Amino acid sequence: MQAELLCILIPLLPLLGFVANGLGFRRVPASLVGPLAVAGPVLSFLAVLSLFSNFRAGGNQPFKALLFDWISVADLHINFSFQIDQLSLIMLLVVTGVGSLIHLYSIGYMKHDEGYGKFMAFLNLFLFFMLLLVMGSNYVIMFIGWEGVGLCSYLLIGFWNTNTSYNNAARKAFVMNRIGDLGFLLGIFLIFTTFGSVEYSDVFASATGMTIGDKTVLAITLLLFVGAMGKSAQIPLYTWLPDAMAGPTPVSALIHAATMVTAGIYMVVRSNVLYTLSPLTLEIMGGIAMATALLAASIGLLQNDIKKVLAYSTVSQLGYMFLGLSVAAYTGGMFHVLTHAFFKALLFLGAGSVIHAMSDEQDIRNMGGLRKYLPITFWTFLIGTIAISGIPPFAGFFSKDEILAHVWEHNKVLWALGVLGSAMTSFYMFRLLFLTFFGEFRGTAEQKHHLHESPLTMTLPLMVLAVLSVVGGLLNVPHALGGHSALAEFMAPLYAGSQQVNPAAFGGHTMGASEELMLMGISAGVALLSAIVAYVMYVRNAAVPAPDSAERSLPAKVVYNKYYIDEFYEVLIVRPVRALGDGLYSVGEFVVDGVVGAVAWLVRTVSGQLRLVQNGSIGSYVFAMVLSLALIIALRFFINWTSVLGYLNI
Amino acid sequence: MLPIILLSVFGIALLFLGFAKSKAILLPATLLFIAIAFGASFVDWGKNYMYFNDMLLSTNLSIAFTAIVLLSAFMVVSLSSSFLEDESAQPAEYYAIMLFSLVGAIMMISFENLIMLFVGVEILSVAMYVLTGSDKRNLRSNEAALKYFLMGSFATGIMLFGLALLYGTSGSFVLSDLRSYVNGGVAYGSPLLLYMGLLLLLVGILFKVSAAPFHFWTPDVYEGAPTLFTAFMSTVVKTAGFAALLRLLSFSFTGIYSFWGVILMAVTVITLVVSNFTAVYQSSFKRMMAYSSISHAGYLLIALTAVGQQSKQALVFYSLAYSVATIAAFGVLLVVSRHQSGEGKPTDESYDAFNGLARQNPLLGFIMTVAMLSLAGIPLTAGFWGKFMVFTTAANRGIFWLLVVAVLMSAVSIYYYFRVIIAMYLRDGQTTAIRVAPFYRYVLIAATILTIVLGILPNLVRSLV
Amino acid sequence: MQPTQQVLIPEVIQQIPLNYYLIFSTALFVIGIIGVLTRRNAIIIFMSIELMLNAVNMLLIAFSSYKSDPTGQVFVFFIMAVAAAEVAVGLAIIVMIYRNTRSIDIGALNKLKW
Repeated sequence: MQAELLCILIPLLPLLGFVANGLGFRRVPASLVGPLAVAGPVLSFLAVLSLFSNFRAGGNQPFKALLFDWISVADLHINFSFQIDQLSLIMLLVVTGVGSLIHLYSIGYMKHDEGYGKFMAFLNLFLFFMLLLVMGSNYVIMFIGWEGVGLCSYLLIGFWNTNTSYNNAARKAFVMNRIGDLGFLLGIFLIFTTFGSVEYSDVFASATGMTIGDKTVLAITLLLFVGAMGKSAQIPLYTWLPDAMAGPTPVSALIHAATMVTAGIYMVVRSNVLYTLSPLTLEIMGGIAMATALLAASIGLLQNDIKKVLAYSTVSQLGYMFLGLSVAAYTGGMFHVLTHAFFKALLFLGAGSVIHAMSDEQDIRNMGGLRKYLPITFWTFLIGTIAISGIPPFAGFFSKDEILAHVWEHNKVLWALGVLGSAMTSFYMFRLLFLTFFGEFRGTAEQKHHLHESPLTMTLPLMVLAVLSVVGGLLNVPHALGGHSALAEFMAPLYAGSQQVNPAAFGGHTMGASEELMLMGISAGVALLSAIVAYVMYVRNAAVPAPDSAERSLPAKVVYNKYYIDEFYEVLIVRPVRALGDGLYSVGEFVVDGVVGAVAWLVRTVSGQLRLVQNGSIGSYVFAMVLSLALIIALRFFINWTSVLGYLNI
Repeated sequence: MLPIILLSVFGIALLFLGFAKSKAILLPATLLFIAIAFGASFVDWGKNYMYFNDMLLSTNLSIAFTAIVLLSAFMVVSLSSSFLEDESAQPAEYYAIMLFSLVGAIMMISFENLIMLFVGVEILSVAMYVLTGSDKRNLRSNEAALKYFLMGSFATGIMLFGLALLYGTSGSFVLSDLRSYVNGGVAYGSPLLLYMGLLLLLVGILFKVSAAPFHFWTPDVYEGAPTLFTAFMSTVVKTAGFAALLRLLSFSFTGIYSFWGVILMAVTVITLVVSNFTAVYQSSFKRMMAYSSISHAGYLLIALTAVGQQSKQALVFYSLAYSVATIAAFGVLLVVSRHQSGEGKPTDESYDAFNGLARQNPLLGFIMTVAMLSLAGIPLTAGFWGKFMVFTTAANRGIFWLLVVAVLMSAVSIYYYFRVIIAMYLRDGQTTAIRVAPFYRYVLIAATILTIVLGILPNLVRSLV
Repeated sequence: MQPTQQVLIPEVIQQIPLNYYLIFSTALFVIGIIGVLTRRNAIIIFMSIELMLNAVNMLLIAFSSYKSDPTGQVFVFFIMAVAAAEVAVGLAIIVMIYRNTRSIDIGALNKLKW
């Protein structure tokens, strides 16, 4: 009973925060808005902690908290109930934990904004829907949370709504998410017709009796994956996420990095039985995920907007997560969700701190040398960068390595591509770090005068997240490194159904410890190497005096120009990569957006033509009616369909 | 059947009340009458009674539809306070006509004999012709009335021909006779007459619920009619029409589903596509609402096309959700357009009338937002569950492609519903604070709360059916 | 249409087969429809609609007689009564329009469109 109460409280507390700040907008005193808004997430985080410890104490027994019979009409029964198991608890911890920190940060970040109360209310509402999404015990509740977070994301992207580009970004996000939602909704109906229920426990129980490669399951999983593509920004529905950076930075951190965008991964892991039943979907997912990871990483190489770099990096990391899922490394995917939430939230909040200090400047070409002025931000940002680059022993290394190890077993080419992507990741992240915090300050004098470290409400979350980014990886230290894969062990019961339908996919590690260590060595080495390249290009080079007009002997010239290594890099690596990145960026911007735009244009044109039918004249209305009637009669009575079909041999 | 008698008597009583000096008593009296009829409709709850020599049948389903119709009427009437300010208007007559039209609606809902269906349709329609043209000096209102009248009587003619053919082939107007005739195989008489008769009858009713391609009157009439009566038409007439269709198709003609199922499916798809696409281009909010009403007819038709166990509940729930949200939206439109247009200027019913509304009128903005979200079918509003239940009926029947079309079209609908929300919150406008009479405000708030509560606890309605 | 069931069908009626009535009424009905489609004068359109209704009445009476079942004829009374009410309202609307525009040509009425 106590557990059920906790289950109710967890989503209810943020909702109360929303109601308090939403109804009392402009009436609640400004000093009270922050505490009110933070209280909800923090208290529900405590509730989650207590629920978690109960769960551990009770021998990891998953249970369902049935709140009430939500709707039951004929053979449609939907309960309003929460599923508490390993998966939802992990997501709950991330959502409320990171969520609380970001709420705290927002107090400092948004305090002087006109719509402060409204902003905090929306954040709370978002948290409520996100909690519904992860706690629900059936697809309908998940869908409601899914739509709800989309709506909040829309509201928050367009929060500074005076600017039209912000509005366009919000609309784009909404349209792309809607496309995904359509797939999800159709998937739910197909699940309902196939299994007669939308409750996870029923669906998965009956799914275990099906054979691998079942056509219906294939359709279901593909439809659900379309939903995941929209929400988790995979090709071709990814262009909204970088644009969504138009919203305030805490929103980018919470919604577009740590929580909402990982909903797609959550959904796939939740439905792992279905996905295991459909290897073809997993293949498709793997292809799309790899392409997304590489494409986004290569675009990230040339971005100069601090938030855009992080946005493309998020898209790329989401690709890695799906890559893990596509080789049935469900734990690996979730592990990366977890660590990514820590370090990406950290990086976004760090970026927010920089933007705050730079008086809303976001272009890294105008930054530089900020480590002297923002020491805490610098150090935490550095930790985040190391973590995301996959350099041991920080969090990102373990999770990325887990995914890559599984990919290696599955497909060596994909693995190589994955390592290439991770090299790019390391490069663009260190480039970002160096350009922002090292070298000379390149901004205006006014900006320089204004530079200051952020207040404690902003730096405290940074420090907490930095600590988590350092130690987060220890949750799941692989056996090869002397750990015992605690997270994998914890989550193992979730895949019982999958194991039953396809034991081969869960063969466990077939490779030896030495092979695994070698893989780790390679990926860590590549990441380090990219970091060094970035260092050479952006720190060392920047310090070299430019003119080379002086006459020098040939050897001296070679030495002076550092053996033309840079030029070599330039021609062989940087230019092709840049060209590739440019090309891919154009693909994203023009092809994908073009298609979306074309569809919108088509709808408008068809609409414009169609409305002309409505010409206002009674005569033509009646004529249309009679004509349609005649048509129906002709089609129904004067054409013998059975003979027509027989004639056509259908 | 008490409400039919009560409403007829009350209507006549209202005409007499109109002689009184003060018009102030009319509104509360009408509301009281509708409330009494509402209460009286539940007298037969749980019993299946035949009334008036087997002319009307009262079941829980018919009572549920009656309750929805009366609730809609109650809300529309309570938004009619502007009548009392207008010197030239004759509120007593309008109120009386509305009560009489409700009698027609209830007859359509609970008919057992096709004669009653015809009489009900005509009572409702003739009343609507009058109300549409009630703004006598407004040419748009005139035009709408004439269009509605001519096309409506034309559709009635077609429907009657269908009734005559059905009578000719089965020898009876009684639904249960028709049912046994259809189910007994088409033993005697010509099946062609039966099919033709059913087709023509369907066309007649589809016209009334404005399903494409018989919908052409709807946008023009809804736009031209006074907003209050547009709200009345788009809720009461639609609910009654669908109740009648449900009664016909799920009771009498299930035996020849293979005949009408395909036709209805085609009509559903055309309705969904045409209405949603055309609504995108509209610049007038009121006209958009007309297309929206057509599109909702399309969603309701899905439940009929896939007629099965759930269709009844789905139709009841959807009608309720749709009616409440539509009336709330028209209620806001009424105050806003009246506020935006000064003396002597035509009322502004375009999207632009809503620009910047929410700044000074957060309550109206919120009510409108909830109504639009519900019409668009966004979760945690009643509209979501309505759509969900309707879509489930199609999924149950295995008509998956229809589901795909419906889901796609509901995505298109987001565009035009959200335009209002964007206009209210994100556009700049000079809308000052609008004074809304307390009672008017309470009704709108009640509609909003009902929409949200049904969105959170949809099971509340289950006890209704 | 149920040849075995009839009790009392007057000789006079039997002289003309039921199908003739059916065809006649249908023809009348279609003429009404064509009238609605081709005319522009609101009154004449209205008359065509009345023609459609009377075709239905004709048909109902024929069926009713051949079945020796009075319901059909009772229905005709309903139709006539309702049609009378419709005429009253319809003519009122047409008069109202005539007052405002001095014309009852439906071609002029297309302010509401698109």
